[in-house]
Amino acid sequence: MNQKNNLIIGLIIAGVVVMSANVDADPRDFVEGLPNIGIMAQEITDVDPSLLETAFWSMLETIEMAFIGTVVGVAIALPLSLLAARNLNNKFVYVPIRALLAAIRTFPSILWAILFVIIVGLGPFAGVLAITMYTVGFIAKLQYEAIEAIDADPMDAVGAIGVSKLQLIRFVVLPESASHLLSQILYIFDYNIRQTSILGLVGAGGIGFYIINYIKFFEYGKAAIFMLVVLATVLIIDWVSVRIRDNYIVKSQRGMQVKV
Amino acid sequence: MSITKSSNVKTLEKSSSIFTKTIVQMNDVSASYDSKNYVLKNIRMSIDRGTNYAIVGQSGSGKSTLLRLINGMMNPSEGKIMVDYKIPNITDKKFKQFMHKIGYIPQNLGLIKNSTVLENILIGALPRVSGFNSFFKKFSDLEIDNAKKILKQVGLQGKDNRKIYMLSGGEKRRVAIARALVQKPEIILADEIVSELDHVTAREIMDVLAEAQVTMKLTAIMVHHDIQLALEYADRVAVIKEGEKILEIGVEGDRIVDFQSGNYTQREILEMFNDEPKE
Repeated sequence: MNQKNNLIIGLIIAGVVVMSANVDADPRDFVEGLPNIGIMAQEITDVDPSLLETAFWSMLETIEMAFIGTVVGVAIALPLSLLAARNLNNKFVYVPIRALLAAIRTFPSILWAILFVIIVGLGPFAGVLAITMYTVGFIAKLQYEAIEAIDADPMDAVGAIGVSKLQLIRFVVLPESASHLLSQILYIFDYNIRQTSILGLVGAGGIGFYIINYIKFFEYGKAAIFMLVVLATVLIIDWVSVRIRDNYIVKSQRGMQVKV
Repeated sequence: MSITKSSNVKTLEKSSSIFTKTIVQMNDVSASYDSKNYVLKNIRMSIDRGTNYAIVGQSGSGKSTLLRLINGMMNPSEGKIMVDYKIPNITDKKFKQFMHKIGYIPQNLGLIKNSTVLENILIGALPRVSGFNSFFKKFSDLEIDNAKKILKQVGLQGKDNRKIYMLSGGEKRRVAIARALVQKPEIILADEIVSELDHVTAREIMDVLAEAQVTMKLTAIMVHHDIQLALEYADRVAVIKEGEKILEIGVEGDRIVDFQSGNYTQREILEMFNDEPKE
């Protein structure tokens, strides 16, 4: 390793130390606070199974919110991504669309949720709108990058036939980027379920509403039931998306059959 | 090196009047990607309708650029090109109509690997399909029948619904040829499409193209790496070296003839290729 690399690593470490002092991040506090985990763990074991039904229904609501937000978000993102791709449009089209998408992405979903709670009131609908906005910003960006990265050869070969731009999109761009899109949809759905779980924090519906309120009143046992349901759901969704990915994506990207 | 015409090549009857016209004419054409280094310099070329024309040269000699000048995907920096009496230009409506009639097979074929064989070759029919129908991938029975007929012609019958990634290298090339033929083309441009194949498969693919060229009365302009293969199949072979056309040769009877200047004898021509490193 040369001198320059050492200097850069040294600067990064020094930065972490100085910034930790600035933000009061003291490892000693962490060590002193460790016994609190024991207290919390003890209270968590004091679970209240009677809440399981409530947890189940609120989880279902959360999944429904995430599902609607993902589907509507992708439906809006897809045409936007086609307009934002540099290899399909001139800069008078893609520059404003990209600026719009960048603006949408500046807000994390929780801020969108606050905004929509103000607009449509408390409840799951505000959460659905927040998830939709986040999905639009996120998927459109990943998708226009995928479109720009598609193989130039099919574009070239089909473009040389003199087909219209819509035909080029339908027969080259969409099929060539479909596996990326599917992979991104699976990822964002998984991510949206986790996001939706905390939107209750600002009153935008979902299971997070229960979790945050039980924690506020130090009822960790009750909150734990809800958190366990979230954990189980995320694991199931993850498992399902791995199956879908293996079946439809790996096969087409690598050009082979995958036995699952 | 001895050259004999491939037994599968039938010579097209050229006395009929429409075949006597020039389809591609290049006058002192130069091309450059960065306006400094020329990829092609002062190319003069005249290709008659119905000819099986080959362009041979080493990698980087500008062969692929030559094809892209003919189908309008690139514009020359100097000189004039006429293709079917039109100047190739992708933004020109009249030429764009003629592009429908140019089947272009790039070196990497440009197939849609997640789509089926039939979907891929129907792309060649898109100029005849309305925007609305093509959005829903709706093709008339006539087009589908025609596409299936062409699949049979290139030896892919029954493989309509295979995905491209399931096919062998030779089969992929047949799909690319079929897509070009579905266009009902007047010209086929093929860029080194058999270079990566073994000797036997390469000739099978060349036979498919040669047969289509004769039966469908096409002008074929094919770029090759291998002079022997080019001479076996083509009526005329242009040799490009470092962006310049140094020779135009062909086989007459059992002799190789210099059509460009008439200065070189068969022996001199063959010696030129013996100097080239074999790849």
